[in-house]
Amino acid sequence: MTAMATAPAPGRRLTAVAGAGAGLRLLWLELRHNAMAWVLPVAIVLFWLLTYRRDMTTPPMWNLRAAGLQSGAVLDFAIPVTGAAAWMGSREVRRRVADQVAITAWARWARLLVPWAATTIWAMAGYLGCVAVLYGVTAHQASWGGPLWWPAGVAAASLPAFSALGFVIGTFLPSRFTAPLAAIAAFFIVALSTELIHGGQSPWQVSPIVTGPWNLGPQAGVATFYPFLPDLSIAQVMLLAGFTLALLGVLTLPASGRAARTVAAGLTGAGLLAAGTAAGLTGTGTMDAHGMIKIPALHDAANDRPLQYTPVCSGTAIPVCLNPAYAGYLPVTANALAPMLSQLAGLPGAPARIVQASVSFQQDAHEGMIIRTDGPRSGSPQPVVYLVLPDQFGDPAMTSEQVADQLVAVYDTRLVARVTGDGPAASPSQNAVAAALLLAAGQGKLTTDQPPSPQGGIDPGQSPGVAPGTPEYAAAERFAALPEAARRAWLLRHLSALRAGQISLAQLP
Amino acid sequence: MNVEIADLTRRFGAVTAVAGVDLQAGPGVFGLLGPNGAGKTSLLRMMATAVRPSSGSLRLLDRDPGSYGPRREIRRKLGYLPQNPGYYPGFTVAEYVEYFALLKEVPASRIRASVATAIEAVELGNKKKARLRTLSGGMLRRVGIAQAIVNEPELLLLDEPTAGLDPQQRVTFRALLRSLGERATVVVSTHLVEDVTAACAQVAVMDQGRIVFRGTPDGLAARGDGQDAGDTPIERGFSAVLAQVRS
Repeated sequence: MTAMATAPAPGRRLTAVAGAGAGLRLLWLELRHNAMAWVLPVAIVLFWLLTYRRDMTTPPMWNLRAAGLQSGAVLDFAIPVTGAAAWMGSREVRRRVADQVAITAWARWARLLVPWAATTIWAMAGYLGCVAVLYGVTAHQASWGGPLWWPAGVAAASLPAFSALGFVIGTFLPSRFTAPLAAIAAFFIVALSTELIHGGQSPWQVSPIVTGPWNLGPQAGVATFYPFLPDLSIAQVMLLAGFTLALLGVLTLPASGRAARTVAAGLTGAGLLAAGTAAGLTGTGTMDAHGMIKIPALHDAANDRPLQYTPVCSGTAIPVCLNPAYAGYLPVTANALAPMLSQLAGLPGAPARIVQASVSFQQDAHEGMIIRTDGPRSGSPQPVVYLVLPDQFGDPAMTSEQVADQLVAVYDTRLVARVTGDGPAASPSQNAVAAALLLAAGQGKLTTDQPPSPQGGIDPGQSPGVAPGTPEYAAAERFAALPEAARRAWLLRHLSALRAGQISLAQLP
Repeated sequence: MNVEIADLTRRFGAVTAVAGVDLQAGPGVFGLLGPNGAGKTSLLRMMATAVRPSSGSLRLLDRDPGSYGPRREIRRKLGYLPQNPGYYPGFTVAEYVEYFALLKEVPASRIRASVATAIEAVELGNKKKARLRTLSGGMLRRVGIAQAIVNEPELLLLDEPTAGLDPQQRVTFRALLRSLGERATVVVSTHLVEDVTAACAQVAVMDQGRIVFRGTPDGLAARGDGQDAGDTPIERGFSAVLAQVRS
């Protein structure tokens, strides 16, 4: 060891810029040696296994992908970031450097904020990378719309909160076991937070893994015809920011100066107030008609106006037009309905277009859900038939074949009924012609099995069915066996009389 | 005086670790001798502003460490090596010393030079990029010394600094101490009396929380005349003082 050269003592106070520079350099050192950097691959693998792969099984629609991202990423990242932060928070005591750092010029709270910030930055970088990949793939796949940033923002806001939680636990309960225990605690906090949700107006819906009315579940139809309502997301960000502030205040509370303690207590109080306010506001929220949570104090009425879009239409004999967000469904929808549409095109009563309608949601008195179709109902004189895709309600996990089967079962019957005037009071000849058209369109049986439809939704058309062995059945088989041109020519001439009940079974060709 | 202590007491529960100590120290190397449990470490931790006194008066570098502003000023000019210093194993030597330079608010323009100087002073220049987990115990002790002196402290507190150093390192460390003592107050707590003989201009002996001798190393050695316990004059003086206090 050699004698040190004497350097002049500092001649001036550190400027704010120099202080910031030192802080950044300290942050850089902490980033280089932060536990979150080692844990980050675990978080990314969890994200890939639990969130990305699941999200990719849903249709490429921004609303579904964003909701999946929020609820999944919070859990994927909360556990590792809490554990890593607890490890970093307990570091000074575990490594026996507490005295050495305690006697430095930096205030304790400022010194502790640096590793907390480094932990949060690593987690945020990993998370943003995951968002970029998921949203990038979705942008490539989605046919319309753009990224929903609020759900991504909620998950992002959860990172500093859970980082602060872990850091505070690690700082106040330093041991080598603190980190795993804190990670486990974070898992239970997140996973069990939804267990407290009871009813549509529960303040616990402020849990960051909740993306909409908890008892509604994921709905593809949400935020496609109407804008995404950020009300719940705003409350969630407020809650998480409040928790972050409160926890960082707790970190500062043991400060030795009265002023610092006062500020810390103020921060903690303000944070808890913000979090409590967020939960309270969520408790005032109700499900709006479009399946999202509307919080009156946070609601922007501009979000109640429907989105403007140019529908995508098929080249079928009667065009089928869908919301562009559902453009991926157009081939299966058009193919499913094309045989019937070609039968009916040009006939009196046939629609000029089939247009996709939105659905509306309503909570009933028993916390059940009523899902209705927006727009004119069946029987409307308008030359448009409104169609709701099966994936617009319920969990959007149907195969293309299932979607096609449901569309055919519901809409072929309804379209035929619209043309023939078929219904509960229809004449035997109307029933026979309706059944014949279904048969000619490829439906292999003359009796119509009505699939379940959304409660109060589109009337699928009440064909009474034609039982085998009856005169109606024989007439239907006979009519269906005609060449299409002959069938169409007969219908053009006699459809008005048929609808008026003036055609008997014997008069059917 | 850089250190002015009057009737300083520190209690840990029912145990009184430091009992009414009075001490003044100006620039130079000041040795603090005493048996295990004498209260040396507790006294040093109070002087390092790591713990607050239970009672008594403490002024460091002409400031009162009881207030936040002055305490922060003191800490900028303070170096401290604990008895059992920890370290962050993933840091390199240079990073670790820089970490403390930043926390001690060494001016940004001087950090790089200060870190290099401190590392060279403890003869670890060839290990500055080595991670701390790869260093021996003696090297880690030298890293601890480097972090303590990186801010060119006006008050340097070293608790058993030569523990773990080999004889050659101990000799060079004493030279470093003498150099530092030319412009700063260096308080060295040790149970190795040869460190005191070689480096200290003033020495105090503590026992049971009190200072029982204050003087020069020669004065301490003189107290041992006619004593048998100890291999060197100062060891004999140390034993004589303790025996006298306890008798």
